[in-house]
Amino acid sequence: MKKTVDARGLEPPQPFELVMDALADLPKGESLLLLLDRMPHPLFRILDRDGYKHESRIRDDGVVEIDILNP
Amino acid sequence: MIPDGQTLSYDAAPAFSTPLRFFITAPLFGAAAGAALLAAPELLDSRWTPGALAVTHLVAVGFMLTVMLGALFQVLPVVAGAVIPRSGLVSTIVHLAMTIGALCLAWGLGSGSHGFLMPATVLIGGGLALFVVAAFLGLRRIPVAQATPRDLRIALLGFAVAVALGITLALALGGRLDLPLLTVLKLHIGWALLGGSGVLLAAASWVVVPMFQITPNYPAPLTRFWAMGTGAVLLVWSAAVYGELGSAEFALSAVLAALCVLFAVHTLKLQRQSRRSVPDMTMRAFQIGMGSFIAGLASVLVAQHSEHQVWPLLAGILILHGGFVSVIVGMLYKIIPFLAWLHLTQDVGKAPNMKKLQPDSPIRRHLALHAVALAALLVAASVGNAWLIRLAGLLVVAEFAFLLANIVKVLGNYRRAHAA
Repeated sequence: MKKTVDARGLEPPQPFELVMDALADLPKGESLLLLLDRMPHPLFRILDRDGYKHESRIRDDGVVEIDILNP
Repeated sequence: MIPDGQTLSYDAAPAFSTPLRFFITAPLFGAAAGAALLAAPELLDSRWTPGALAVTHLVAVGFMLTVMLGALFQVLPVVAGAVIPRSGLVSTIVHLAMTIGALCLAWGLGSGSHGFLMPATVLIGGGLALFVVAAFLGLRRIPVAQATPRDLRIALLGFAVAVALGITLALALGGRLDLPLLTVLKLHIGWALLGGSGVLLAAASWVVVPMFQITPNYPAPLTRFWAMGTGAVLLVWSAAVYGELGSAEFALSAVLAALCVLFAVHTLKLQRQSRRSVPDMTMRAFQIGMGSFIAGLASVLVAQHSEHQVWPLLAGILILHGGFVSVIVGMLYKIIPFLAWLHLTQDVGKAPNMKKLQPDSPIRRHLALHAVALAALLVAASVGNAWLIRLAGLLVVAEFAFLLANIVKVLGNYRRAHAA
């Protein structure tokens, strides 16, 4: 089952730190779902730099969902 | 679709030094204002003394406008997605112009050497004009439908009107223009404090309060209509002031005060819904600020029907020192460590915890000193005792020195982490 990291309701930069810790434990070929209050542009740059694949969408209630895959 | 004010584009963030230079020199102007009170307590005899005008502009231009412009270099790209062309060069020129201009303005007003007012107007007017042009170039592709970018544009226009009116006043004081000084002065104050500073504070708050204070968003109708509504009423108020329509002016002043109270009350209400178990120091600073705004606005309305000199003084102290300085200090304590953390993460990959970059205890001590200085200023202005005013001045010097020391400590922690 895909791991979910719910980083909503946290003050910056805690969501960033939380997901970086989760990514450190993410095995190759697996993905996680990240839930946030807003688009994390700095995270996208780090994910691209480190070779992770990611896809983001915004739910009707404004919550940002991001799938992150460790290829 | 993300609601207004939710999207942050950190990728477009400028160099750390771009906003920082503004944040480092601004507290020196606040300390200079305190030093002026310490040296010449008689300047609080009325709002019209040359010294009172100098102190007001040391705080309003040297501290408030300087920090606001520095923050805008960061906020426009990060919050609105606007890329300011050549932001490093523009910020260097704007910072120099505002710093030297604020010094000339304070010296020209305080010493009565009106020859200093002309270079002051050229520097402040030129610096702000350069910034407004650069900001609008950056904002030209950003949709006006988003609350914060739209309201930032309104605030920039408000500042432009305020500075234009200030230049007009300086020309009149220098004998180059024959104008009804009191009328132009009222318009200058209204546009500087509400059209520029007030709208900018609201535009920043739409994003900063929910993000850093972990509150629900402001109600959509408030973010959609507050700045435009306030700007529209300010225009009608300006016509009433210019036409010397006394009762209409008072009624419109009351409407503007009600709009400001609406913003302040909503901010306090949101903070009560914060998911924090214990209010942090920025929230405390906002609470002091919003309470001071409400008391200051009441003093403005009382001053319009009272001959007593103390009401305009109390209004000025409450709105400038209690309101804007409190809120600006609260935001600085979020912005500077966050930028330090962000640049460390981007540059070296790993940053210390933000609490290590900026611990809470010095902020708590600084805010306590700020609150004591505010209370001392209010008591000293009410009583009119020279020694009390000197004491208040000393406390103001100490609080701004404390602020600068706290900023320098964060930079020291940033440099050590960068070098490690």
